Amino acid sequence: MKTFLARRALTSLVTFIAIITIVFILARATGDPLTELENDPRISPATIAAIKAAFGLDKPLHQQYLSYLANLLRGDFGYSLHYKEPVARVITQRLPYTLALLVPSITLSNYLAYVIGIEVGWRRGSRLDSVFMSVSMFIRSTPYFWLAIVFLYVFSVVLGVTPLFGAVTPGRRFEWSLDWLLDYLWHYALPFTVLTFRGFLAELIYVRNVTVDILGEDFVTTAVARGLPERYVKRRYVARNAMLPIVTVLGMRYAFIIDGAILTETVFSYPGTGRLVYEAIFNRDFWLLQGAVVILAASVIIVNLVIDLLYAYLDPRVRYR
Amino acid sequence: MRSTRLQALRGKLREFWTVYKRDRAALAGLAIFLVILMVAIFADFIAPYNPYERVGRPYERPSWKHLLGTNDIGQDIFSEVIYGTRASLLIGFLAAITGTAIGTVVGLVSGYYGSKLDELLMRAVDMWLSIPTLLFAIFLVAVIIRAGGIPMFYSVILAIALTSWPPVARLVRSATLSIKERPYIESAVALGASSTRIMFRHILPNVAPIVLVEVVVRTAIAMLTESSLSFLGLGDPTVKSWGTVLHFAMIKNALILGLWWWFLPPGLMIAVTVMSVMMVGRGLEIYFNPRLRRY
Repeated sequence: MKTFLARRALTSLVTFIAIITIVFILARATGDPLTELENDPRISPATIAAIKAAFGLDKPLHQQYLSYLANLLRGDFGYSLHYKEPVARVITQRLPYTLALLVPSITLSNYLAYVIGIEVGWRRGSRLDSVFMSVSMFIRSTPYFWLAIVFLYVFSVVLGVTPLFGAVTPGRRFEWSLDWLLDYLWHYALPFTVLTFRGFLAELIYVRNVTVDILGEDFVTTAVARGLPERYVKRRYVARNAMLPIVTVLGMRYAFIIDGAILTETVFSYPGTGRLVYEAIFNRDFWLLQGAVVILAASVIIVNLVIDLLYAYLDPRVRYR
Repeated sequence: MRSTRLQALRGKLREFWTVYKRDRAALAGLAIFLVILMVAIFADFIAPYNPYERVGRPYERPSWKHLLGTNDIGQDIFSEVIYGTRASLLIGFLAAITGTAIGTVVGLVSGYYGSKLDELLMRAVDMWLSIPTLLFAIFLVAVIIRAGGIPMFYSVILAIALTSWPPVARLVRSATLSIKERPYIESAVALGASSTRIMFRHILPNVAPIVLVEVVVRTAIAMLTESSLSFLGLGDPTVKSWGTVLHFAMIKNALILGLWWWFLPPGLMIAVTVMSVMMVGRGLEIYFNPRLRRY
């Protein structure tokens, strides 16, 4: 178990460094962050040179890279050129919105997909199965953002029961009060519902297929033949074994949180990190981008580690390999 | 010689068809897909107007003249959706073919040479898979646009292809690992065949079924990625795909104005097309992997 953990930790570290390196290189491949300033006739070349020197942009790339790593180790994420604020502050303002929206919805949809997927798989070939299969296939095929638009249209435009955009009423500042919370939840309901609805139905078919595969295994046939109660076979034999592949696939959804965030926040004009990262790419806001990706990469790594640990916990064979 | 080969092929196709047509979903998927393919090919004849021309007043409601109304600059939305079929399918398919080709080559090389190279390539695959797809694709589009040299249309295709090859590489690699242990590969080595020849002449045909299924499945996924990228405004603005139509519908407030005829049809088309392609992929998979057959 110890060597297993040590090996996993090492791979995680390598992946982490690789991701932040790739981002460092790709960010610089998108162009020069000061293009806007350089094209502004009111700003003298001397000023530009001074800004470049201040941000270390005049140094050779490898030096920039090293100081970037060194700063990271000190917990310094740098300065956002676009927001004119430290990156850490820009991100901490937005990150809670993204996490509070996506983590619960992914968790709930994973749970629903797991529980209902096994039930549907258990009743393979039934009417229920074919209905769920068709719905799941269709939802899986819809572009997520379009589904969000449809929900917005129905609930906000036609019925008018939910707000059209934002995480709170525009202009409202954060405060610790019930009033704020209610306003927040009112804005929260629709994006949360769409995310959960789609996640649940899109993953359902996967859980169902895994279950059907396991039902074909000899040990299940044996268990049924031994006359074990249906409930017992389902819980102890099928659900338990289905957990292994499911943990990997459903767990990875946490690592890919940003993809959902980018689209959700675009459709709902939600002030989160997804939109922030997207804009940072095109504003060439290197430090903001790198800072956001460092946090993302870290979360990907943590998710992967948790999945591996769960795996080792669920399947003793992994532990002793 | 030639005619026996042709006969063998016909026999194979007949066998394929008997198996394929037994799956109702696969059959329905194929039918839907063929209709959509026809729409893409004959868009010029089906669409009543040129979707790039202003043919009416802006924001017209649906009427017999404009089945789905007109957009903010008076282009016929129905024609946009019809032409969108062509762009969406083409981008999806080209991205899938390119991505699968990259993945196949990496998988073959990795599986065939093994050892250090295999280790290295598989690490790269792991790393690639841990980067969120959409974010990566957005990033790549930004980089490719900056690097210049290729038209926007192909930038998107390339970006999607570059994000989609790793799973293919994994599949092809594991198949290659088992195939290369077969006696006939040993014979080929003994006869002095080059590694390239063995990989592409002797192993590739045996992994072809996997590759074929992957191209189909990847097409569906690539179409979804393309729609997201275009929706975010990263598509080629001069080519109308369903995603691009949705992008403009969104930024021109179709949603708030309640113009459902503008934003519902393109999304529905994406969903139906992607679903039909997935069902065809499933049908192929069932044919190539008899264990999936239910009888």
